[in-house]
Amino acid sequence: MTRYIVRRLLQAIPLMFFISLVLFVMMRNMGDPLATMGGRTMTRSEDRARLTRQLGLDKPIIVQYVYWLIGNDWTKIDMDGNGVAETPGTRKGILRGDFGLSLVNRKSAMQVIMERLPNTLILMLTAEVVIITGSLLIGIYAALRQYSFTDNLVTTLSFIGYSMPIFFVALGLMYIFSVNFKAWGLPYLPTVGMFDPQIGKTFWQTVWHMILPVITIALTSFAANSRYVRSTMLEALSQDYIRTARSKGLPRRSIVFVHALKNASLPIITVVGLDLPFLLGGAIVTERIFAWPGMGRLFLDHVSRGDTPVVMGILMLIAISVIAFQIITDIVYAWLDPRIRYN
Amino acid sequence: MFSKKAVTLMIVLATSLSLLLSACGPKTPVSPPPPAAGTTAPVATEAPAQPKKVVTLIFTQEPDTLNLHYTNMWFSAILQQLWNRWAWEYDENNNPFPVLVAEMPSVENGGLSADGTILTLSLRDDIIWSDGEPITADDFVFTWEMANAPTNTVASAYPYSEAVSVEAPDPQTVVVTFAEPFAPWLYFFHGILPKHVLQPIFDAEGTLDNADWNTNPTVGAGPFDFAEWESGSYLRFVRNDNYWGDKPKVDEIFIRIVPDDASQIAALTAGDGDVGIFIAYPDIPTLEGAGINVVKVFSGYNEGWYFNMGQNGHPALQDVLVRQALAYGTDRFIINQDLLLGKTVPAATFWDGSPWADPTLMAYPYDQQMANNLLDQAGWVDSNSDGTRDKDGVELILRYGTTTREIRKDTQAVIQQQLAEIGVGIELYNYESDLFFDTFGNGGPVATGKYDIAEWSDLPGGFPDPDTAYWRCAEIPSDDSPQGVNWEFICDQELEDLFALQSTQVDTAARIETFHQISRIIFEKVYWLGIWQDPDIWAVGSRLANVKLSGVTPFFNAAEWDINP
Repeated sequence: MTRYIVRRLLQAIPLMFFISLVLFVMMRNMGDPLATMGGRTMTRSEDRARLTRQLGLDKPIIVQYVYWLIGNDWTKIDMDGNGVAETPGTRKGILRGDFGLSLVNRKSAMQVIMERLPNTLILMLTAEVVIITGSLLIGIYAALRQYSFTDNLVTTLSFIGYSMPIFFVALGLMYIFSVNFKAWGLPYLPTVGMFDPQIGKTFWQTVWHMILPVITIALTSFAANSRYVRSTMLEALSQDYIRTARSKGLPRRSIVFVHALKNASLPIITVVGLDLPFLLGGAIVTERIFAWPGMGRLFLDHVSRGDTPVVMGILMLIAISVIAFQIITDIVYAWLDPRIRYN
Repeated sequence: MFSKKAVTLMIVLATSLSLLLSACGPKTPVSPPPPAAGTTAPVATEAPAQPKKVVTLIFTQEPDTLNLHYTNMWFSAILQQLWNRWAWEYDENNNPFPVLVAEMPSVENGGLSADGTILTLSLRDDIIWSDGEPITADDFVFTWEMANAPTNTVASAYPYSEAVSVEAPDPQTVVVTFAEPFAPWLYFFHGILPKHVLQPIFDAEGTLDNADWNTNPTVGAGPFDFAEWESGSYLRFVRNDNYWGDKPKVDEIFIRIVPDDASQIAALTAGDGDVGIFIAYPDIPTLEGAGINVVKVFSGYNEGWYFNMGQNGHPALQDVLVRQALAYGTDRFIINQDLLLGKTVPAATFWDGSPWADPTLMAYPYDQQMANNLLDQAGWVDSNSDGTRDKDGVELILRYGTTTREIRKDTQAVIQQQLAEIGVGIELYNYESDLFFDTFGNGGPVATGKYDIAEWSDLPGGFPDPDTAYWRCAEIPSDDSPQGVNWEFICDQELEDLFALQSTQVDTAARIETFHQISRIIFEKVYWLGIWQDPDIWAVGSRLANVKLSGVTPFFNAAEWDINP
């Protein structure tokens, strides 16, 4: 197993280089970060020329990639525009843990990302727990009562949720449970943010403000996951060993949760394992609508301003997570199914 | 189906995880919570605690920095009046008034030399930073030095780059010297930097680029102190008890970042915000229906068409008759009425809404007959009966590009239909703004002349100063000048001479007359065609009192804001 993990990690190194190069080139061709600098007017031409030089955006793209990768503290930069490079570079490069400075706010790109990561994890992990729990409940219930009225009803409802665009669900929930409930004099949920400024950022304020975003994410995810659970459970329940267990008189609960669910969970773990790294990316639409300060919004805001250091930081974080979680999934596989061996 | 134990386990697991992650998150308690309902006051003789007066503003974009010299963002700039007041600011009529200076400089009071090359500021003697240190002329000199320091990647060195020297003969006097008369001097001294805080940082690091003060300004000169900023979520400003002016009436200004327009409307309607900005016209009835005041503020912006008159542009646009025909052939009044709900009107000039525009100029009326006549006169007729006019084998089909803003896309569709009725074909293009406004050097679509008509909203660069580089000959982009912003590729010598003249006129009346001439030329030759005047639309909740908004320094009277009981 150790050799397997080491081999997978070694294989990941050239893959990461390739991914980073492709993403960097794409990112640098997605518009000029100095065009408006997020303002309502164009940047003055003199300032644009100066900033292009000072920020190193005038260098060939491959040179910019090399600086991003290994830094520029081994060379000098022409900061005053006299044609002579006089100022030593200060960047260390991503290989030495320096993701660079954000072009938007000149803060460390890693600091910018780390400020948002906890918020995304709070939201997305809670949503994932709700999704997995709900999908298991719905999927197992539907599998045990195949083609019953309840099965059909649950299936229909979950597909209604699945087929609605997430922005529609989010705004619909917001207008019903916040705006209209308030207008009707009922207890209402908050529209946006993580807390009420009059009260402050407390645990319960965060929970209270998380209800609508979590429901939004969960509603649109229940269908696919619960159908998956249902089909794998149905397959497991039709196996010979289940029939044997039943004929031996094992309790139904034991048959379903110990024997059927454990075997049905292998493909489910694959799906969840592949989902997990993308939790880091946040839920772009949900975070935007509910003004949740997570990674999804960070990505969107900084992509739109051509902020290569921050966007590359997010993308590399996700790429590393994908590889890490794939390895973790493989390990869990082997733990759940003793027949699997990685040689 | 499930045992209670299993269900309980799941709930406990989910709750524990949330708790754990919350504990890992930023720990910045904002304020002590108000006493819970029903709790007893600790000491019976104490007066009951007054609830905190918190005004919540909703911003649809997050500011990038609080150091004005490092940003072009409007959302960053407008925060200045909360925590770091300027030498002078602008009232609700966009008129300047003195703040850190004792009086506005003028030729009469000696603040401005007769030849316009020396600007002298007399500072108030009672102004202090929030840490108690006096604000002196040295802070002004330091600000000028930092804006021009080559190691600082400031967003713009203008107008500081135009001064030959800035000196402090005494703590209350600042003397700015220009090589030539500098008419836009009002653009100076926005965002004064505290020398006693930042000089040591600059000395140590050689730059202010990474100064913590930029995003965490511990010292300011406004009615509120910066308190905290949680990325993507909020900024908080609390009352500055050291403020040298009238003390603010509210305890806290809370800026909530809500990027989605529909969410902003929901939050305002539900009372989760007091003030909103950039309200879309279709949302105005909803807000007014909820009892929220909608305020239009002129901020210098006018939406208009920029014609490509360069080599890559359609040859028809070289003819003023064709450009006039396009002006007569587009019903901009119906666009303002239907798409903008009659809340604004077509702009006649680039300077509409300010004294710099010639008041005798009125927007071209919608007149299809006149448009047809002008096109016929210019020789553009439909010779091959395909529904589109042509001349010398060239069809009159224009490429019309703009950004992806919804109102612009709707406008494009309406105008495409209107111009088809006079035999002008239109192809529509839309880009994200960072691509649309990309430079000539980077192959930006407008800058390289890929469009015949480009639409966006803009204002004179130093508004309320009227100067602009858009029509200057030296700003025509080329391989030698890839950053040029004259994307109409126009070099009209008469216009060039007038622009050069106005930049040296410190006599306001004479400069206004020059701008009237400029606006008249641009109007008559249709170098720019206004689509609508583009005021800022604010929503102000009914519980707020004394709120006045300026188009330049919106929060100039934030200290007077109050909450109705």
